[in-house]
Amino acid sequence: MSLLALGEPYLSDGVDLGDVVLTVVKVVVAFVVLLVSVMLMVWFERKVISRLQNRIGPNVAGPFGLLQTLADGMKLFFKEDLIPERSDRFVFQLAPYLSVVPAFLTFILVPIAGDFSDGKDGSVSIAGRQFFLQVADVPVGILFFLAMSSIGVYGVMLAGWSSGSKYPLLGSVRASAQAISYEAALGLSLASVLLISGTLSTNEIVQVQAGEGFRGIIPNWNLITTGFVPFGIFLIAGTAELNRPPFDMVEAEQELVGGFHTEYSSIRFAMFYLAEFMNTVTMSAIIVTLFFGGPAGPNFGVLPGWLWGFVWFFLKLLVFLFTFVWFRATLPRLRYDQLMDLGWKLLIPLALGWLMILAGIRVAQSGGFGITDSTQVDTGIVLVVGLAIGVVAALLLSSAVRTSRQDRLHRHGLVEVAPVFELDGGAPAGEGHH
Amino acid sequence: MAQYLPVLALLVLAGLFAGLSFVASKIFAPRNPTAEKLAPYECGITPGRDLPERFPVRFYLVAMLFVIFDIEIVFLYPWAVNYQELGLFGLVSVLIFSALVFESFVYLISKGALDWGPLQVSRRQDPMRSADRTTASTVRRVGQDGRTVTVLDAGVAAEEAGSGVAA
Repeated sequence: MSLLALGEPYLSDGVDLGDVVLTVVKVVVAFVVLLVSVMLMVWFERKVISRLQNRIGPNVAGPFGLLQTLADGMKLFFKEDLIPERSDRFVFQLAPYLSVVPAFLTFILVPIAGDFSDGKDGSVSIAGRQFFLQVADVPVGILFFLAMSSIGVYGVMLAGWSSGSKYPLLGSVRASAQAISYEAALGLSLASVLLISGTLSTNEIVQVQAGEGFRGIIPNWNLITTGFVPFGIFLIAGTAELNRPPFDMVEAEQELVGGFHTEYSSIRFAMFYLAEFMNTVTMSAIIVTLFFGGPAGPNFGVLPGWLWGFVWFFLKLLVFLFTFVWFRATLPRLRYDQLMDLGWKLLIPLALGWLMILAGIRVAQSGGFGITDSTQVDTGIVLVVGLAIGVVAALLLSSAVRTSRQDRLHRHGLVEVAPVFELDGGAPAGEGHH
Repeated sequence: MAQYLPVLALLVLAGLFAGLSFVASKIFAPRNPTAEKLAPYECGITPGRDLPERFPVRFYLVAMLFVIFDIEIVFLYPWAVNYQELGLFGLVSVLIFSALVFESFVYLISKGALDWGPLQVSRRQDPMRSADRTTASTVRRVGQDGRTVTVLDAGVAAEEAGSGVAA
């Protein structure tokens, strides 16, 4: 495929007035959909958590309390907006923009509907203009997602730094270290998806997944074709990237009051809150797009094809929105050293190793090695050799971890006297804390 | 570049939304700052000390490591998209590259660059946390004293009441 063929058909040959009108309509629709979905997501989260905690949750404003978020948002407009005296005024006022604008922009990558059955590309036409049901199918695709999530980190970091206060500063330093650590894992797990799909465009990633799967029954989702592990890494790293529980060290209220937004009030606080929930919705949508085929699904007639796409997309999205709320309701927060260990010493090496083995298998399947005449035997050999290298790498890594621990013990003049973990399921024998 | 037109449009719209929200807040919100409100939040204590200007060097180390891995990702993406055309040559190149990055990564870990938090020193079993101490042996069943006297042997009951531990 040539680079010129990428992207929206209606924007690929010059831009006239009709194209601009279509673009504006698409953007406004996406904007409204995003704001409404955030409103419903906040309500959904509060309602589900309430139920999981045997409470009723918001039930006064509107039917089932649906308008609670709107009421809260309106209230924040009428609250006093304070800029602390020790803050860096310019950066303090800039930070909410840096947080909320990338949150909006990430959503452009998500195809929310479209007919992908029988090799169709999910486009619809109105008045002779062919377009995708996503804001923009930019050629850089996934790179755009990574770029936006990196800019979002600036919002959090600068907000805490500019507040001129102790807790926000600690929260923001933690947040930036956490976000960049997990971004590496996120990027490496994404590489597996790109390897299978052979493209950066989200629309084409969905098209590849809409193809015929194994025996025609099992869908050709990247979840299966990348072998489940990249999805697991992406889900964990994505949760950490969103600063959601169990990785919400950023706003660990027992230690840091409110974390990076402690000093923010009124509409500035609302912007951070909006960005947080918008990112949750977008991240769920990205997971669905990258690993679960997005809007691709069977077409049962009655409804037009593109609407079936929306139905499938929405159902898959709901699963992940619920999963994130479920995480928050059930999982206790990690300690900061546990968080960093999980990210650096497990997820990143695992993602890298998995990518290499996956690539080796794919090259062997296409006959790239030529060790024997049969590609199947080649694949087997590559798999065995790859796993052997993986075991060696894991041993190296664990010996490095052990070396560093021994060094630290030695420096403190201590000796290891008993296993760190008791076999009867007790807590680790730490420094007297239980 | 026409493909990026919607991105630009959404950027403008999002900026407008945030900007107009601030304007609305300026119009509607009361304005009554006092010294207490403007002071940094310290859980009710009068803020005394200045902000720390120095950070544990680990945060910088993490940032530098991130740059290394980010560069690796930047190199991996074009290969991952085109690995079919590059075939064995591309695979071997990427393997060598990844092995080099991994090797320095292992070295950094062994040097303790990614150790966080206090050292978790293992100790001998605390007698207060031994396996003999269960809810049956440490919790006193209130309300059973005196009731079991009629059933049990009087001597045993007296002993139990004396020791304060229900069997």
